[in-house]
Amino acid sequence: MGSITFNHVYKHYKGEARPAVNDFHLSIEEGEFLVLVGPSGCGKSTTLRMLAGLEEISEGDLYIDEKYVNYLSPKDRDIAMVFQNYALYPNLSVYENIALGLKLRKTAKHDIELRVNRVAKILEISHLLERKPNQLSGGQKQRVALGRAIAREPQVFLMDEPLSNLDAKLRAQTRAEIIKLQSELKRTTVYVTHDQVEAMTMGTRIVVMKDGVIQQVAPPRALYEQPANLFVAGFIGSPQMNFIQGSVTREDGYFYFVNKRLKLPVPEHHYPNFNRDRNGISFIMGVRPEHVFLKADTGTEEEGWIRCEVEMTEITGADSYVYVRLGEQTVIVRTDPDRFYRKDDKLLVSFSMNKVHFFDEQSGDSVALRGDAK
Amino acid sequence: MMRRLRKITPFQVALVTSFTALAAFMSLPIIFILNHAFKPQNELFLFPPRFLVQNPTLRNLESLLLHASNATVPFTRYLFNSMIVVVLTLVCVILVSTMAGYVLAKNKFHFKQLVLSLITLSLMFAPETVGIPRYLIISGLGINNTYFGHILPALASPVAVFMLIGFISQIPGEVLEAAKIDGASQVGIFTRIVLPLSMPAVATISIFTFQGVWGDVETSTLFMQEETMRTMAFYVNSLLSGLQNSVAGQNMAAAAALLIFVPNLIIFLLFQRKVLETMVHSGIK
Repeated sequence: MGSITFNHVYKHYKGEARPAVNDFHLSIEEGEFLVLVGPSGCGKSTTLRMLAGLEEISEGDLYIDEKYVNYLSPKDRDIAMVFQNYALYPNLSVYENIALGLKLRKTAKHDIELRVNRVAKILEISHLLERKPNQLSGGQKQRVALGRAIAREPQVFLMDEPLSNLDAKLRAQTRAEIIKLQSELKRTTVYVTHDQVEAMTMGTRIVVMKDGVIQQVAPPRALYEQPANLFVAGFIGSPQMNFIQGSVTREDGYFYFVNKRLKLPVPEHHYPNFNRDRNGISFIMGVRPEHVFLKADTGTEEEGWIRCEVEMTEITGADSYVYVRLGEQTVIVRTDPDRFYRKDDKLLVSFSMNKVHFFDEQSGDSVALRGDAK
Repeated sequence: MMRRLRKITPFQVALVTSFTALAAFMSLPIIFILNHAFKPQNELFLFPPRFLVQNPTLRNLESLLLHASNATVPFTRYLFNSMIVVVLTLVCVILVSTMAGYVLAKNKFHFKQLVLSLITLSLMFAPETVGIPRYLIISGLGINNTYFGHILPALASPVAVFMLIGFISQIPGEVLEAAKIDGASQVGIFTRIVLPLSMPAVATISIFTFQGVWGDVETSTLFMQEETMRTMAFYVNSLLSGLQNSVAGQNMAAAAALLIFVPNLIIFLLFQRKVLETMVHSGIK
């Protein structure tokens, strides 16, 4: 129950050359919490709306539960959707809002009452049932919207940025509740967000999209540790991954990543990716702020340590991020907040080379994945 | 800290004073109609005329009813016709306009732009210019001397449709989509969500439709040849024009003016709060 299959799905809009959704091909397993994430205009919401039946599918097939649903109307797909702006019926009370879907499906009256009350209890909105939506706060409205979705007990939940209109504290709280709710109900959930933190914390699997094209589909850890391309590497993680331009050369059987200022040994597990004739081709080395280290400049040359200057420091509380200048490049380094660096301080920086990623500068693809594919 | 009354600025004083004066001035005709209807004959012809009644009397109403009961068609028949026509027209206009408004505001279909332009175009015609085509349509359909002949010309109300398109397009699309996913049909979405949310606009169009139909003499004059199918507005109108030069009839005219005016006032008072909502809440939040 509740599996979803997209078979090469496209969405074309009239008068636009580029499809809004381009060859979306994916299977979602029963009970999975799938998150679609990407910048605005990447086609994630369009994909969700096609799944809901609110947008027509231009090309390709869509199956819910192995049933072909391309032309099925939303009400017959056994789905429920939660919208960003709650979309509660302003003229109906909270009770009626939750009950309407059941009423329209000809559920028995006592059964409706039972279900609404149960859902209200789970979401702690029992005391609000008589109120109208305009008498509720944002957080309460979103709970009612969730309740409306849950009460119907559909096969699939669709959520379109449901937390975006809430303030930061409430967002974190509701996020935790949705995760808990999903794990209890074990229903397939497709969740759309532009917030990578939400995507990382909620999804069992994440789909990163850009310009209508799937960039990578992976569980959160894998997405963070093995980004498929520059876009995913830059989109996931805050602050962003550092990107350093250069090329890879071979000397005496060893590979080095070199540019004007740097010459860094490439870790051995990357060797197979460079063994082909890639000498001199431009690459981008990606390294996350937590894999860069700083220490005081002692004046002596040390293997693997490079001179740099502090540009600025950002203190977030648990960590502080130091922006250092390395030639023309700025590199962000995560450090202990106890350490304090002043602007123009001279320091040494080093990279944890086991953790770096290499991307083909032209295609943007990770060399690791390309090596695997070939 | 205790909450204090906000300080009243001279500007606010000026504003309130001037608006009160304006409102008082605007209410003069209403006060005049109310007083005039109860003036005895001698006060009606007083010179210089007095605004307020000195010795109120019900004689005017009495003589109006007396006169009406002498006519070939009883006064109550006109009243009954008017009520039937007003109620049916209101119901039909509301139904047609809200449905058209919903479809035009929230649905995509071919030639939608054309339909919208045609509605705009129809706003440009003065009622007099369409009198003859209307007559041809009514007689062509063979609905002279029926209630349909009264209702049909009022049914297409471009102003009402326009107002509803504006109002309904402010209902967020997601609310309707949520209803769609919840399992509502188009009719269900319309009756359960769109119609209740459009009530303020419906109240507004009710008022002006009521005023238009209640005071309308055109349908009775042109399409009704049988006296029994004519409305109260027609009766009062012909009574008044018959009495124009009659000194004795002025008291009846004063009472008739009140009778025609009162229902308008009642309808307005009933719906005014909703109308204000239309103006205040330009959006639904």
